[in-house]
Amino acid sequence: MTRRFRLVGALALVAVLVSVGLVAPALAQNPVKIGVLTPLSPPGDASAGQFIVRGAKMAAEDVNARGGVLGGRKIELVIEDDSGTPEKGVAGFRKLAGQDRAVAVIGQFHSSVMGAVQDLAEQLKIPVFSTQASAKGITARHLTYTFRTHVIDPDRVALWNRWIKQQGFKRVAVLAENTDYGVGVIEDTKALFKSMDVGAELKTIIFDRAVVDLTPQLLEIKSWKPDLLINVGIGTPTYLIIKQAYDIGLFPATPMLVSYDLPARPEFWKNLGEKGTYVTFITYYHPTMKLTPRGEAFRAKYREQFKEDPVYGALNGYAQITLLADALNAAKSDTGDNLVKALLAGKFEGWNGTISFARGDGPYWQQWTPPMLFMQYTKPDQVFTEAKIVFPAEFKTGDLTAAPKK
Amino acid sequence: MDLHLLSQYVLSGVVIGVVYSLMALGITFIYGIMKMINWAMGEFYMIGSYVQYALLATVLGPGQWWIALPLAMGAVFLLGVVTQRVLLRPMYVRGIERRDEYATIVTIVLMVLFRNLAVVLGGPNQYAPRDYARPTTLLTLPISGNRFVALLATLALLGLFYLLVKRTWIGTAFRGAAQNRVGIQTAGVDVLRLDMVAFGVGVALAAAAGALLAPDFLVYPEGGAISTFKGFEIIVIGGLGSILGSIVGGVLLGVIEALGSVFLSPAYKDLYGFVFLIGLLVIRPTGLFGERERLV
Repeated sequence: MTRRFRLVGALALVAVLVSVGLVAPALAQNPVKIGVLTPLSPPGDASAGQFIVRGAKMAAEDVNARGGVLGGRKIELVIEDDSGTPEKGVAGFRKLAGQDRAVAVIGQFHSSVMGAVQDLAEQLKIPVFSTQASAKGITARHLTYTFRTHVIDPDRVALWNRWIKQQGFKRVAVLAENTDYGVGVIEDTKALFKSMDVGAELKTIIFDRAVVDLTPQLLEIKSWKPDLLINVGIGTPTYLIIKQAYDIGLFPATPMLVSYDLPARPEFWKNLGEKGTYVTFITYYHPTMKLTPRGEAFRAKYREQFKEDPVYGALNGYAQITLLADALNAAKSDTGDNLVKALLAGKFEGWNGTISFARGDGPYWQQWTPPMLFMQYTKPDQVFTEAKIVFPAEFKTGDLTAAPKK
Repeated sequence: MDLHLLSQYVLSGVVIGVVYSLMALGITFIYGIMKMINWAMGEFYMIGSYVQYALLATVLGPGQWWIALPLAMGAVFLLGVVTQRVLLRPMYVRGIERRDEYATIVTIVLMVLFRNLAVVLGGPNQYAPRDYARPTTLLTLPISGNRFVALLATLALLGLFYLLVKRTWIGTAFRGAAQNRVGIQTAGVDVLRLDMVAFGVGVALAAAAGALLAPDFLVYPEGGAISTFKGFEIIVIGGLGSILGSIVGGVLLGVIEALGSVFLSPAYKDLYGFVFLIGLLVIRPTGLFGERERLV
């Protein structure tokens, strides 16, 4: 009897060991899913979302080629379109969290959407990253699961105020869309105009983002005779402001500053033709910048794959996936809490420097900020890599060029 | 307020209102004949802008907008005829109860379908044809050359439409169908075939607006959404079924929105037309040129 029991016991043990041996590697191979929730269709800035996805995909390929994370598990991206609308963003985040079991979500571009999904991220304990959403409130709320590797609007506004002072502009008009981003920028501009003693008159107009004819507002601005117009549209409205300001003779006679890096994209000239000449715009990346080894490798691969220089959105999408891979390895876990601890404790190689997340005051909470540059096109169809940097002084490669008088 | 500036606001409203009246005319024309509302009108506007862009960017070259315009209208006319024949006509053949409501729902489905097809086929990005003409001045208003061309082309199309309706046999049939669909059948008119042509003509008018405004307002999948609402506001202001009402309503809406956005707030530009519309309906429920129902 005892021998029979021993035999059965031994066989059972062998069976258990064999089954564990077969199942354990299979479990170990379960991919780690990361959501990319970004605008891929209108009314969102779909072009921006496409660049973010490009960068994220290349990062996942790189991480997986190096052996994946957490002892051999592959990174699997789940891409969701938020259309730039809070309701679609929330639905997409719920799907990523519930159905796909994503351990973190990147790709947020529109501040209004980020503002809606970050509450859900907090509730579901899933880290969410702003890739290009810059409203101050996103990080000023001091939420545990919200991170950002992008500029904050007060910094953006402070920089253009410094530029306004340096250039000696005396009448500045700001035309902004009625989103969290646009309204926030107007409020910051008004507040910082006083505190920074800019010494210029300010006129601000907020328009409905859905409106396509901005002629009456541009006529009003033209009659006010500004010496600078700041274009705070995102996506289609940015183009509409440039086109319609050109058509009524406001721009380029009056210089225009576009508030983000849309003009760096390849389709800029296709949409505007010569009307885009003399536009000044804010960007966060320039091809002459020194990058980290990781950033350099990405740039070379991107150029080879897409036959063009990467834009900032792609670089930032890439950096966020690779830093998440590093954080997963450091945490030795894919749970939200452990991931947050690892993100706060670690230093990560970004595309142009070391990224770390401190819990600072105000909006500087779990926030890392890239540099900002003001660039200007001076010729039609000028490639982004040839545009000059006009501000700030430490990066400057040329002065602001005024358009010739007609 | 500077009078010069005021005149610019009014003129800019008039110009955009006249062009939008093409949309309204298309909606009211289809309603007049088929007694149904086409909610996909903005998507036919959007398709018109895509066809115009595709023709100019690939086949014709940037300067040939005046050849591309009738081609874009023709393409959308054919699409409209096929859509009507395949999806809407079955509801008019048999005695289906509440056919107008069903037909209207079909157009709502079409709206979603066309918008998503545009994303699939053309991608989510914006496109813009090169300018049709250099910027110019209309009285006191500095204006885009494209918009000036759009104004002139719209006036020409409105004139042609007037001639079609008033001076041709098919125009007489259209007017007959608008008055009494059963009655004209006794005169030997094939009302189902007439529906098909009317739907094609209506959506071609929307396509013309889309093609004409493409360089100024860009080409993208949701490009027709705003124009649909403008079109419906205009026909309710002008009176459903009234051609003159479409034009007057368009101009009124354009001016109200332009002035409201300057004197009140541009953040609520789309609201002013609706407020005016509601006020007007309280005083005159049939709109400016609409007619009361006559029952015998």
